[in-house]
Amino acid sequence: MRPPLETDVVVVGGGVTGMAVLRDLALRGVRAVLVERFDLGTGTSGRWHGLLHSGARYAVRDQESARECIEENTVLRRIAPHTIEDIGGLFVLLPGDDEGYAGQFVEGCRASGIPTEELTAAEARRREPLLVPGVKLAFAVPDGGIDSWALLRSMAADAEARGCQVLVRHPMVGVERDGDRITAVRVHDRVAGEDRLIGCQWVVNAAGAWAGEVGRMAGVPIRMIAGKGVMVVMASRYVRGVVNACRKPADGDIIVPQHEVAILGTTSVQVDSPDDIAVAPADVDRMVDMCAQMVPSIAAGRVLRAFAGSRPLYQPESADGGSGGGDTREVSRTFTVLDHASRDGLANMLSIVGGKLTTCRQMAEALVDRLAERMGVTEPCRTATEALPGADHGPHRLAAPLAAVERDAAYGELVCECELVTRSQVRAAVGAGLTELEDLRRKLRLGYGPCQAAFCAWRAAGMLAEGSGEPRRGAPVEREGSGEPLAGLERFLEERWRGQQATTWGDQARQALLNHAIYRGIFDLRDAGRPDEAAAAGRAPTEPGEGDPTTRAGDELVGESNGRTSSKAGG
Amino acid sequence: MRADVVVVGAGPAGLAAAVRLAEAGRQVRVIARGNGFTHWGAGAVDVLGRLGGERVERPLEAAARLPAEHPYRLAGEAALRDGLDWFLRFAAAAGLDHAGDPERNRDQVTALGTLRPTCLLPAPAAHPVAAGSGRVAVVNFEGFRDFSAALCAAGLRSAGVDAVAATAPLPAWDHARYFTAVELARAVDDDGFRRRLAPGLAQAAAGAAVAVVPAVLGVSTGHAAWADLERQAGMPLVEAATVPPSIPGLRLFAAYRARLDALGVRWQFGFPAVGVEWDGDRVTAVRSEGASRVLVTRCQEVVLATGGVAGHGIEANRDGTLAEVVAGLPVEGFPDRTAFVGDRFLGEHPLGAAGVRVDAELRPVHASGSPVHPNVRCVGGLLAGHDPTVEGSREGVALATATRVAELLAPAPTPVS
Repeated sequence: MRPPLETDVVVVGGGVTGMAVLRDLALRGVRAVLVERFDLGTGTSGRWHGLLHSGARYAVRDQESARECIEENTVLRRIAPHTIEDIGGLFVLLPGDDEGYAGQFVEGCRASGIPTEELTAAEARRREPLLVPGVKLAFAVPDGGIDSWALLRSMAADAEARGCQVLVRHPMVGVERDGDRITAVRVHDRVAGEDRLIGCQWVVNAAGAWAGEVGRMAGVPIRMIAGKGVMVVMASRYVRGVVNACRKPADGDIIVPQHEVAILGTTSVQVDSPDDIAVAPADVDRMVDMCAQMVPSIAAGRVLRAFAGSRPLYQPESADGGSGGGDTREVSRTFTVLDHASRDGLANMLSIVGGKLTTCRQMAEALVDRLAERMGVTEPCRTATEALPGADHGPHRLAAPLAAVERDAAYGELVCECELVTRSQVRAAVGAGLTELEDLRRKLRLGYGPCQAAFCAWRAAGMLAEGSGEPRRGAPVEREGSGEPLAGLERFLEERWRGQQATTWGDQARQALLNHAIYRGIFDLRDAGRPDEAAAAGRAPTEPGEGDPTTRAGDELVGESNGRTSSKAGG
Repeated sequence: MRADVVVVGAGPAGLAAAVRLAEAGRQVRVIARGNGFTHWGAGAVDVLGRLGGERVERPLEAAARLPAEHPYRLAGEAALRDGLDWFLRFAAAAGLDHAGDPERNRDQVTALGTLRPTCLLPAPAAHPVAAGSGRVAVVNFEGFRDFSAALCAAGLRSAGVDAVAATAPLPAWDHARYFTAVELARAVDDDGFRRRLAPGLAQAAAGAAVAVVPAVLGVSTGHAAWADLERQAGMPLVEAATVPPSIPGLRLFAAYRARLDALGVRWQFGFPAVGVEWDGDRVTAVRSEGASRVLVTRCQEVVLATGGVAGHGIEANRDGTLAEVVAGLPVEGFPDRTAFVGDRFLGEHPLGAAGVRVDAELRPVHASGSPVHPNVRCVGGLLAGHDPTVEGSREGVALATATRVAELLAPAPTPVS
């Protein structure tokens, strides 16, 4: 075993909450190490619809959450504008919807401090031309889109620049205790294949939907509810801003445009495990049909993939537990700091449970305020005012990647037309040591677009075979060993295919058969029935990567799916 | 508008059917949504490449043992042989010589360095490349992104071929920063361009017995550009099949188009057929989209060559049902859409074998076996009972069924008075 690490605080969980805690600690001058079992954002932070909440979705039923959302919405626009697409949002009242609810909605928004603007049906349709003609009226709210990967990367960069450490692929596997104190957290280094101890004064459990498992390892009961949400990715945006149904939250009532796609959300069903992220075809149908009530052209649209995520809902011990399969929308979306000293007699661990991506900074502030008090740290929280690295780039714009590609002298050397990935980007990534198409995908978004990697996969495979240099001109050269380029390509194609049974029909079915005609027909590749080599090699089943929420969306799962059509739909 | 026979679709089956019907004296009109599998294929004539994943060595023999509902069995071995013979003559007359013989399969080099089994190979792809055939230089042209010499050479080495990778410089030419296979192939059509290209190509392949190159050696002059470049390079040049659009497929499409023009066949391209009109059980006209209105083409016979799901001939619905898009023919669907595709991408997908069931005269049939319309015939990928991708039979089925339809619809011989 490698020598133990020593730090003041170990933060468990590499989602946005854990990272916000790490950054808050860093800004207060506290030494800390964050540990994550897979890669950053591979849990719920990477498996959601990408909505920067205005809070309006909670304005009627959960005003505490609503207030938290609008406050943080404002803060994030200030400290992380580069992660935000400022597209606004509408709540639309459809034929048959209860006008009484609209009254409650406006009143709830007012009481929660959320600005709304009432639009006539004509104004709403001017703003969103594809809205259903029968829309009665609409309310504009300051919803937006947010790229949780960019937010995670920025927070991590800031924390690391201030001396904190991030260890990915280091799942926590246990703790060392001395009486009522944890003296060290035991992690497993997945790359080195060995355990490692991290000696610490304090432990923060920020494992989100998996907080109960961390609690179990530390010997404290935390009752989490896994609230599964299914999302469907459509092959175009359909709407300019976020569109919500103005009614009591239900399945399929939100459309979030993101990059070149739209995400339809979502279900809310209690499941036994946060690792249950299987998507049934019926879920996909329901999302499409419900969202088509707001934007009818979605009904005939092209579904790229579907995925699910698990909400980190907390069930206080006093409350009625409910049973599996129930609707989890009634559980508050607010957050709770658990101090296990007073609660469970474990002196030096705090947990943060519940909450939403939009409120991750505020959650961290509340937790670190408590922790600082216990640690005797007097430095105040500065995360609401200190901008994140990259903030000077200003808000994210949809056309920015296209503009960048057009400025690039290598324009035309696009490897992936769908996602505008250039040859120079791939070459740089290969030069930096990436050897697998899957790694290129996570790094560059390669293969996420509508063609499902038909053309980029083999172009990129060629570049991997060539290595990082320009191919040499002239006389034949023996190439240095390129491993098994075809096996790598086959692995990538199979990975891209996961979960497609739920979403293959219409144009997407045609695309699948054309791609099959290329790879099996023209290139004569056949299913060699290779076992999951990634698993055999001891890697995470699939590790989600960088990119935006969309992409990773279907990506990754942690944990094995149950063998049904899984949500490993990837891009 | 009026025609004896309307052929719907301009892929390998529709083109062959239209030419053969016109050659037989029928007045034909072609209505097509757009390009088909000439452009999407490997650029060879597959007859039967694989069965159960295993390579087929003798395609005609193996075809005879296929299930009775397979299109080859319905069309009959004679139609397949006649179709292949006809194709060889037709293509050669158009400057597209092919090598091969229907009795046995050959290898086609692909851009991944795999050797795919096929039956007839266009001359530029025909020189054998195999283990023991000496050193092979895989040469890409500088800046052409749809081919990787390194990847192709690595694949060939896995197949036991002594292959090395190299890059040949392109002469200065007028192109955008971005160029496609089609643009490069057009450049190669030019004599001067080839003169400037050849020395660099020869140098890149120096010391090798044969050079494998991407299939871009000219597009509008048949095989002439390839033959000329091969002569200048002083060594065999082998075009490797690469991703769409297929340049060999474009050459073939141009040959069909020229032949149809010569035969006076009218041609409506880019506007899909959207329905039919009928009288009793006979179809009397095909309706198609026009620039501003629906066009109606009256006809005595209809040949549907619209392809399967991949070709737009069949729509795969969300509920697992399948719909034939022009005449609403019965197509057997699935209990639900999860049965459309398998769980391994490189495995098999039931949707790839979905199609219209027909009788021995290629007429679509009801579940009972009786014909739906006596004057509608189906050819090519639209037919049930085969998966053209998995079994490698696309062009063979197209030619066999087009040939059979031409026989069935040939005008009755004029009685000699």
